[in-house]
Amino acid sequence: MSDPLILKLDRVSKHFARVETDGITNALEGINLELHEGEFVSIVGTSGCGKSTLLRLIAGLLRPTTGTLTVNGEPITGPAPDRGMVFQQPTLFPWLTVEKNISFSFRMRHKLKENEAQVSRILDVIKLTAFKDDYPSQLSGGMAQRVALARTLICQPKILLLDEPLGALDAFTRMNMQDEILSSWRTARQLAIMVTHDIDEAIYMGTRVIVMEPHPGRIMGEIPIKLDYPRNRSSSQFVEYRNQILDMLHFGLNEK
Amino acid sequence: MGFRKENRRHRTASEEIDIPGTLTRQQLFALEQKDKTPARRAWDLCVTLFPAPACAAALLEYGYIPDKYSNAYPWRYVIFLLIPLAVYLCVWIVSRVRCAKGDRTLYEKLLYKAPLYTAIYLFLLLFDVLTLKTGKLMYPFIPWVNDIINAALGDWNMLLKSTLFSLRLLFLGYFWGVGVGLITGIACGYSSRIHYWISPLIKILGPIPVATWLPLIMLLFPSLFSGSVFIIALGTWFSVTIATITGISNIDRAYFDAARILGARERQLVLHVAIPHAMPNILQGMTQGMNSACIALMVAEMLGVEAGLGWYITWAKAWAMYNRMFAAIIVICIIFNGVTRMLDFIRRRALRWQIGVTRT
Repeated sequence: MSDPLILKLDRVSKHFARVETDGITNALEGINLELHEGEFVSIVGTSGCGKSTLLRLIAGLLRPTTGTLTVNGEPITGPAPDRGMVFQQPTLFPWLTVEKNISFSFRMRHKLKENEAQVSRILDVIKLTAFKDDYPSQLSGGMAQRVALARTLICQPKILLLDEPLGALDAFTRMNMQDEILSSWRTARQLAIMVTHDIDEAIYMGTRVIVMEPHPGRIMGEIPIKLDYPRNRSSSQFVEYRNQILDMLHFGLNEK
Repeated sequence: MGFRKENRRHRTASEEIDIPGTLTRQQLFALEQKDKTPARRAWDLCVTLFPAPACAAALLEYGYIPDKYSNAYPWRYVIFLLIPLAVYLCVWIVSRVRCAKGDRTLYEKLLYKAPLYTAIYLFLLLFDVLTLKTGKLMYPFIPWVNDIINAALGDWNMLLKSTLFSLRLLFLGYFWGVGVGLITGIACGYSSRIHYWISPLIKILGPIPVATWLPLIMLLFPSLFSGSVFIIALGTWFSVTIATITGISNIDRAYFDAARILGARERQLVLHVAIPHAMPNILQGMTQGMNSACIALMVAEMLGVEAGLGWYITWAKAWAMYNRMFAAIIVICIIFNGVTRMLDFIRRRALRWQIGVTRT
């Protein structure tokens, strides 16, 4: 076994030049984080607090303005399949069938031959084998997001980045998918980092919740969630965690 | 089988919906269609047979009204009229057999096409009256159909040669245009620096009709043939380039992000994301390019190149052989139609994902 994976963010900041005016936007400032393999980190915060930017930095889609991001000491220089990411929109390639979407990463790395069994296995797991020759436009939102998840998970990423993956789904599909994601994470035990604007979801899924605030985007605090899976959304501890986070975000009753 | 019996009786839609078990695509279509009354069905059956009496009328007219002009090989027109009808009736029989087995698709298709075929026969009847029988339609500039058939069969060797020459010219120019157009389009869509240098060229050259270049090209190119290839390629190049640039610059960045996360390299992003995404635009540009290529071909052949169908037409006209001229025009019609259909077929195959075809 290799060493357990550690993702370190050291004084990371990201600034964007504004399009309309001369100014710059401070999307993130002074982010220090250390995340370990096996954790499920939920990031919550109001819009504009840079939570998606943070995820894109870790994915390697963006480069930090200052500071460093390292995985086991190695700096992140660009995107790679072992840092898989699922977006809010499924972004399935509409010109490929479900099966081809899922096998996309294998084909990009010319490893399809040895992994064909995997593709059909994961189709089975997400229960979409019957739809493998369909095009994404024929899928419902939930099915499309399951395919997007499968497409990412099939690379067996060491870090799984989830950018509001369930944000566009209806409440029922959403709760089902939460359990699906959790169960896959609990078998694979990689480091999962999920951005969400749903506090319940953050508590329900995360081993730790990081709360961020905007202008400039920074970390306000973090709360380890010490509850066993599967969690009960209406237990008193759950509600307590929720109140605690709401307080931090200045939505609590104590503020009035 | 049981399903068919149910459908024969007149039932309301709500009754028909609860069919047990799995539904085939065929049955689904049948269910979704409104029920027709028996009278309506009988009428539909008559409609599918209308081309036969129309053809008979055309034959009777041809045979019984005396000709005004001398008409060589009169039987050729009869065969010309009968062959399509024979084919049609064969298909009709097949469609009825399939109907009996519960598959109505072919029959519905015939029902859709039959009025058109009937009209074509009636048009031929009228045309024959106006030309061969009475000469009311600008004789001798417009010949009758049998005359055109005779011209085509009499001069088939020359026609075939001209056709092959035209096709060679067309496709040579077209493929050069598409190939270079794709490369410039993708390069421009992908790199803003290349776009900076190429776009003025496109803006200046693009809107000018290709025929404008003809005199210049006659001077500059070593042979008329290569000059014509260039003209045809130029028009195609313009359409394909513009369409490809549009297609590629419209790509949502999220697709690139997703592909990069999944391990795609720069070159793969072009091949596996940019090009497939731009495919609808590219194919549209290719269709447009074919249109301009056909125009350019005709212009080139009529004005300069001394071979091909365009040249054949001007040559026949110069010798007042209007029947040959019409024969060539009809061949052009058939070829350009065929080429357009081929492109359309390719487009539909390539863009299956876009149409959202239902599962079978």
